[in-house]
Amino acid sequence: MTSDTTSQQPSDGLFPVGRPTPLGTYLRDLWARRDYIIRVPINELKSQNAHTLLGGIWLVLNPLLQVGVYFLVFGVIMPIDRGVDSYLVFLTIGVFTFHYSQRVISDGARSVVSSMGLIRTLRFPRATLPLSNSVGQAVAFGPVFAVMLVVIFAYGNAPTLRWLLIPVLFVLQSLFSLGASLLAARFNHLYRDLENLLPFVFRLLFYVSGVLYSVDHYVDDALLRALFAFNPMYVYVTAWRWVMVGGPATAVEAAAAVAWAVVTLVVGFTVFRAGENTYGRTG
Amino acid sequence: MTDIALRCVNAEVTYTIRSHRPLIRDILRGQRPAAQKIHALRGVTFDIPVGESVGIVGPNGSGKTTMLQATTGLLPVSAGEILVRSVPTFLGVQAVLRNQLTGRRNIEVGLLAQGLNRAAVEELLPAVVEFTGLGNAIDMRMETYSSGMKARLHFAVATATSPEILLIDEALAVGDRSFREKSAQRLDEHRANAGTVLLVSHNLAEIRRSCDRVIWLQDGLIVADGPTDEVLASYEAS
Repeated sequence: MTSDTTSQQPSDGLFPVGRPTPLGTYLRDLWARRDYIIRVPINELKSQNAHTLLGGIWLVLNPLLQVGVYFLVFGVIMPIDRGVDSYLVFLTIGVFTFHYSQRVISDGARSVVSSMGLIRTLRFPRATLPLSNSVGQAVAFGPVFAVMLVVIFAYGNAPTLRWLLIPVLFVLQSLFSLGASLLAARFNHLYRDLENLLPFVFRLLFYVSGVLYSVDHYVDDALLRALFAFNPMYVYVTAWRWVMVGGPATAVEAAAAVAWAVVTLVVGFTVFRAGENTYGRTG
Repeated sequence: MTDIALRCVNAEVTYTIRSHRPLIRDILRGQRPAAQKIHALRGVTFDIPVGESVGIVGPNGSGKTTMLQATTGLLPVSAGEILVRSVPTFLGVQAVLRNQLTGRRNIEVGLLAQGLNRAAVEELLPAVVEFTGLGNAIDMRMETYSSGMKARLHFAVATATSPEILLIDEALAVGDRSFREKSAQRLDEHRANAGTVLLVSHNLAEIRRSCDRVIWLQDGLIVADGPTDEVLASYEAS
């Protein structure tokens, strides 16, 4: 139950309600809810396709069809290389990893405002909501990643030692995305305008993050390229390509991948928690 | 001396309702949306001992729901203070239940949402399934349920855990007569285990049945606070 409040009581056992929870207690409460945080999005994933014939197969079929379309367009209809070898591999890694962050952040932005009823009836650390969304998206990335591997193998790539970095990179990108989604959830609760804005932010990011083309190919100047490290989406997409098939990447980008994860998570969590007691209030 | 479960000392809750959030248009024109300050609670003081069942009555808009929400910390008090032994919990998991999930899955999720871990859920699950009396339908998706069946599921999940201080805001009489009796029993058990209950209801018969004491609210102030029979007698006479 509400074990969050059993400690530090005055002699008569009463304490004022609605006081902010200390950080340690908050984190412990989140940990105590881990089963909920994991279970709920998995149930959601399972029930998502309840009214379809293929059911859970859609989780794999969806990314497969996406790649199929790209193959048709860029492999058959207008085969261009845009400065990279095996463009389909390049594209698949870029699009899938970009979409992962996009899903975490844009669904996370809605996670609080879409659970007002829950917030008003039950008491729990509100960070549960964006966190649970992140876990769900991470699980859903599994089949997407599998399709990505199939494409990579189909083009004759073999696993390298760099693949050992896959979990590290995945965790870093996930932490960054979680941090950004916490930030987005707080501001979207304040002003829902953010929800309308986000699709355009991501569309812009999509075009400036080198998802469709090699930034390296078009931007020669090292200084100018270093500027791209300020775009976290570019950083992660580039890092994925480097890990999976050895695309170009620099130490600056590696450092940026770590820095973006740590800073965004800390800032996002702090900002989200500062609004803890405002979620669910009217007016 | 009995222990106090909940103490309100001159608790006031004030909030502003606006016709709409200030839009950029209003800000540019230097206008403010029509706003009204609501004094939902204007200084209420009472102690509720552990294990007592208290009914809250009063006309619509008298501050009953506000008071319950303030005791959970959802609404901040603007003056005075509210002290509790443990944070009160609303009876209700409506917001957690999902149409696309089976009854059984919904019970699992509902219990997890109330803060139980997986082991505790496994342990409690059979008893809750039994209590719903839904039989084989428990493994059907909730969207196939009638409203009565949904209500049974909802009540069973909501009362499966016993918070120290339980808040009930209306809507207790669910399902058919036999299920209503079962529900009433469940609440009696809760009180027998020294659970404290605050019940907001317009159903005075229900309050008579389950409350030892009644607080009558009007315009955010306490009009009367005492034994159920006395307070309800004057409330009905008003």
